[in-house]
Amino acid sequence: MASVHDFDRRWIFLIMGLLVVGLVAAGISAPMPVSEYVDSYFATIDKLPEGSIVMVSADFDPASAAELLPMYTGTIHHLLAKKMRIVNVCTWPAAPPYTASRFAEIAPMYDAVYGEDWVELGFLPGDDVAMGTIGQSLRSAYPRETKNNMAYDDVPLLRDCGDSMGNIELLITMSAGYPGILEWIAQVGGRYEIELLAGTTAVQTPDLFAFYPSQLSGFLGAATGATQYLQLVDDVAIDGSVTADKETQQSRMLVQTWAHYFMILLIIVGNVIYFTGRKSS
Amino acid sequence: MKRELPILLTVLCGLGITMAFFSSSAGDPDDLPLGWTKAVNSELLAWALVFFSVAFILGISNLVRISLKTISSRGEDWPYKAVMLIVLFGYLGIGLMEIHQQRYGFFGSTEDAVVGIAGQGERAMRDWVYFKVFVPLQATMFSLLAFFIASAAFRAFRARSLESTLLLTAGAVIMLGQVPGGDELTFGYAGRALAFTMTYINGAGQKAIIIGATLGVLATGLRIVLGIERSYLSE
Repeated sequence: MASVHDFDRRWIFLIMGLLVVGLVAAGISAPMPVSEYVDSYFATIDKLPEGSIVMVSADFDPASAAELLPMYTGTIHHLLAKKMRIVNVCTWPAAPPYTASRFAEIAPMYDAVYGEDWVELGFLPGDDVAMGTIGQSLRSAYPRETKNNMAYDDVPLLRDCGDSMGNIELLITMSAGYPGILEWIAQVGGRYEIELLAGTTAVQTPDLFAFYPSQLSGFLGAATGATQYLQLVDDVAIDGSVTADKETQQSRMLVQTWAHYFMILLIIVGNVIYFTGRKSS
Repeated sequence: MKRELPILLTVLCGLGITMAFFSSSAGDPDDLPLGWTKAVNSELLAWALVFFSVAFILGISNLVRISLKTISSRGEDWPYKAVMLIVLFGYLGIGLMEIHQQRYGFFGSTEDAVVGIAGQGERAMRDWVYFKVFVPLQATMFSLLAFFIASAAFRAFRARSLESTLLLTAGAVIMLGQVPGGDELTFGYAGRALAFTMTYINGAGQKAIIIGATLGVLATGLRIVLGIERSYLSE
């Protein structure tokens, strides 16, 4: 029997391509059961009193946006629907255009006022050091907000934050790697006893189980977590504003399901060929 | 003095930040034990942020210098370096122009209506390049992974030993448990196996690795603060 290495792998690329394109074009979607971690993420936001200040950190770039942007979108909808106030920061340089575009679209739906209900502080270089500085003194980390270049004390929401993390009830990070959730836990979460939530990529998700539920109150793992969360947010967001995103995610999960089945099939076929070849030789 | 001064500065900074860590709290620094260390720590962190920002300028300068050298000598991959420089300065120029127009009324903008080089909107051109060029390029690179993982699953994922068998079984279980339908297909076993593997096996392993690595970092930090480890001085 021929070796697997003799097989032209372009056939695998072709089948995978057809499978993904075909299922995306079909646009079929199906609901998913919600996991304990996602449920806990949702409940942690939901239980906060109206007007609480929540810091959201966008720590991702376009490579991981397929997984993290739906979570970010869902979280902003959820926070504004529950009338929380959002301080948005970024420790990845490629994140600000995403956050600006999301807020520009979502904030008007909830009549959220810039500077009072949400504020954008933008990108801060320095990785762990930047996070440590934010924890130590938000004012020295960001003397001005980024959208209108207003001084820290001229922004009502930042005045209410004060100088430290004491008035911030919750910290949420959408984390694609370094710097991200592990650094937020070390530099801010554990140090200032702030409740933390995270949305992460599939690659980073296994790292988080060690921190749940002590240092991390809940997390959204990859596209699966994003889909489950959007299903929950759809019930609290303003009339149908996340329904389309939810259905897109559900449809993507069906594509992922068949891609996973195909890969498992490839593993089985590859092993059958391997063992058959070994036996005969 | 060339050796002693850097070591002394390292010891002082290290001790200052360590003491600040133990006096950390969200409260008023004056009410805290060792509250003064918070002020020292704040100052040191502010300096570190300045260094990081300067490092960006240094990094770009070095990149430009090396790229220009390669382009002028028609070295390996010189056309790519030329494209990189054009993109680097092009995007920088667009950004500076849009910031200028936003703040100082360039292109006839007013406080109420920002008119950019790409039309209405304070960051229209930057966003156009970002969302129409940068985002699709990065997403494409990442999407290619699906094809390479599929090919690797067929060609390299073999049950050659006990360890590799465990690895591919765990991989298959995680893939099945993660997607809708996988659980039903295995009569609920994939979901339970996924939860058990992630929570207990992966969780315990992760904790062991994190604790081990943290102790290593602590030991290295202590060696640096005490002046035993001097590799950062090129010794």
